[in-house]
Amino acid sequence: MLFNSFPFILFFLPAVAVAYFAVPQHRLRLLLVIGASYYFYAYADWWFPALMAGSTAISFTVGRLLGQETNERRRKVGLAVGIAGVLALLAYFKYTAFAGGYALDFVHLITRRSFPDARHFLHGIVLPIGISFYTFEGISYMVDVYRGTLQAERDPLRYAFFISFFPHLIAGPIVRYGILQPQLTQKHHFDADRVRSGLLLFALGLAKKVLLADGLARWVDHYLATPGQLGLVNAWLSALGFGFQIYFDFSAYSDMALALARIFGIELPWNFDRPYRSASPTEFWRRWHVTLSTWLRDYLYIPLGGNRKGAGRQDLNLLATMALGGLWHGASLNFVAWGVYHGVLLAGTHHARRRGLSLPRPLGVIVTFVLVTLGWVLFRMRSAHAIGALYAGMFGAHGIGGVPGHLALYVVVASALVFGLPEEWRWPVGRWNTALVAATAVLFAVAVSSVYTSHPFIYFRF
Amino acid sequence: MKRLVLFLVLTALVLGVFAALTWWVDPLGEVWKPAAYAAARHDGCLLSEELVGNRYYSFKLAVFHARPTRTFVVGSSRVLKIASHPGERTFANLGYPGTAPSTLLSLFRALPATPVQTVYLGVEAFWFNRRYAIPDTNPSGYHVLEYLLSRSAFWTSYQQFRLLPYVRPPHRWRIATVGRRCTIARGYPAINWNPDGSRVWSWELDPKKYPKFHGTPFSAGLALWRNGYYDDWHGLDHARLAQLGQTLALARARHWHVVGFAPPEPAPLEHRLDTDPRLAPEWHAFLRLMPRLFARYRDEWIGLAVRCPASDFPDEFHSDAACSDRLRARLDEAARQLH
Repeated sequence: MLFNSFPFILFFLPAVAVAYFAVPQHRLRLLLVIGASYYFYAYADWWFPALMAGSTAISFTVGRLLGQETNERRRKVGLAVGIAGVLALLAYFKYTAFAGGYALDFVHLITRRSFPDARHFLHGIVLPIGISFYTFEGISYMVDVYRGTLQAERDPLRYAFFISFFPHLIAGPIVRYGILQPQLTQKHHFDADRVRSGLLLFALGLAKKVLLADGLARWVDHYLATPGQLGLVNAWLSALGFGFQIYFDFSAYSDMALALARIFGIELPWNFDRPYRSASPTEFWRRWHVTLSTWLRDYLYIPLGGNRKGAGRQDLNLLATMALGGLWHGASLNFVAWGVYHGVLLAGTHHARRRGLSLPRPLGVIVTFVLVTLGWVLFRMRSAHAIGALYAGMFGAHGIGGVPGHLALYVVVASALVFGLPEEWRWPVGRWNTALVAATAVLFAVAVSSVYTSHPFIYFRF
Repeated sequence: MKRLVLFLVLTALVLGVFAALTWWVDPLGEVWKPAAYAAARHDGCLLSEELVGNRYYSFKLAVFHARPTRTFVVGSSRVLKIASHPGERTFANLGYPGTAPSTLLSLFRALPATPVQTVYLGVEAFWFNRRYAIPDTNPSGYHVLEYLLSRSAFWTSYQQFRLLPYVRPPHRWRIATVGRRCTIARGYPAINWNPDGSRVWSWELDPKKYPKFHGTPFSAGLALWRNGYYDDWHGLDHARLAQLGQTLALARARHWHVVGFAPPEPAPLEHRLDTDPRLAPEWHAFLRLMPRLFARYRDEWIGLAVRCPASDFPDEFHSDAACSDRLRARLDEAARQLH
């Protein structure tokens, strides 16, 4: 089920919210939300919840074992088995077709045999939405319990709530159990101010998605369908447009996730903080998809050695972490290339810093924005040919070209919002006066009426 | 709490305004307007297709219930010229474009079991081509709700509301004149419905103002000919045959008398169906199977009993009134034998 859909907005959310506050017992409420979340997930495909239940059972059981076991060797083995268990599900559903496809291509190159049955089987593997997110949440839980920074959860209901809670289930934010656990022990009473604040943020998120991100998508998709025909202006505006589209799309989802959780009395971590205002690639990753970048830092980069083993090793760690981060986004070489590109940017930033090189902040923001935009080309265009064609256009190989009026207007509006106002979750919606609440209600109604033609969120694919 | 209530109420109010305007103007014809049909009956006018839109199913049910129906015809758009005899009130044409075995079954289930009906069932061979996509002529309440709340539908409604005086309250339509007949219409009533559910093309009434339709010739290829209904046809779809069987079984259980027929074909195209290697096997299979299927339920099948000259098919697909009158006479005769 999509947040930007009539079934969710008109039926699912009101029904679950009303039932949640109508149920008097805390544990019954948890059960209600878990049931609703599984239904929410099953809306995409009936068997997805079974997969999530399996992943939940693995990480919960391993967490319990790690909490009880004192033998270090057994704990290590337990953690490895747990991580391998949940990663196996992710690897099968997300990467088998990718790896198998390349393997078959390689064998075909040597033997000239095409293996149509095997290819048919690989094409038939369906990627369950949200699996990348709840797999990472399960891993972080097991690792935190192993490290002793988190008490193992004894209550399967609370743990199932943590994994399945529908606001963050499909596309994050990637929540750590340490953030949610204390919030799940107490009953949340109905608080009109908090519910209003959640609804206002949800309205802003929905408007950002359906009015801005989807509006940009219409023009960006149109132009990027033929990258070889784009002149300099068109190519840059398309790349900038995609940069704004993916930002508004994903940050809108994150705002809506925060907002929905808030309605139920739960605060989730924020995920974006106007990343295009960053003055360096390092700062960009402290503002973009923060719950993923901190996850990669804490559970991949630091265990690999981080910056503790010299500059050369740090560069390698950054490249490896970002390449895997790219691969997490999708089983495709362009995502790996995008990750490696950002790894190079991060390593370059560290080297520049060590040499005492820095840019004045305004110049740093411009340079970072341009570099990030160039990176989005790798992310958006799926083939080397299309990537090359768009870069060629951006560097003037296809001439200057005309100005795409609608797209230019969207980019101007998007830029004004990004550089003129703070991230929406920072807006003090809870203290808004009657006029602002009324204006947001009208905006919300317009946004709701636009969901009929809305696109799915980009990050649903990951 | 006050501001929470304000937010919810104002949101609901704005969406309500959107929905109300779209419901009133209904630019895409997704809302069934019984008052338009009532106005047509009251004023002795035709009803323009614009006011029926995609709601054929609801319209035909209304036609059935508005008359003391004892005999009705069902089938595709090709049975729509079969009309009542002068002064006959007990006949209704419940056919509509997009009819298929599944829609027939729904329609039969929605009709009352009594009084006993005589049914003329026009069966199309292309219904049993799996590639024939059945359009939605009975949208669900949820589908209509989506439409009413859609911004694009609202925007179109707003523009029409602003530009067209006859969609502004208290009016929702206008009485237009086509030839010597009046029709309850909106902008351009090219197709109209008689109160008995049969269809009237405006070019029949006013050929100067309304151009005739032209079908795509057979030579254009099966993907284009007759909207591609016969394209890529391999075998008779078993599920749809089973639905037709269920429909006949339901009629039998209600003691209804059913006469089945294949709508008339222009002679050159009947020849194509008989001889074209892409069509002939399925066409002949259809013609062989139908008598057996109807006989199983003790119903009559008259097949392609009426032959009409090619000039009786203005678009080489739909028969005109003259041909349909001959067909009606043949159906009446078959029904008399059944009784």
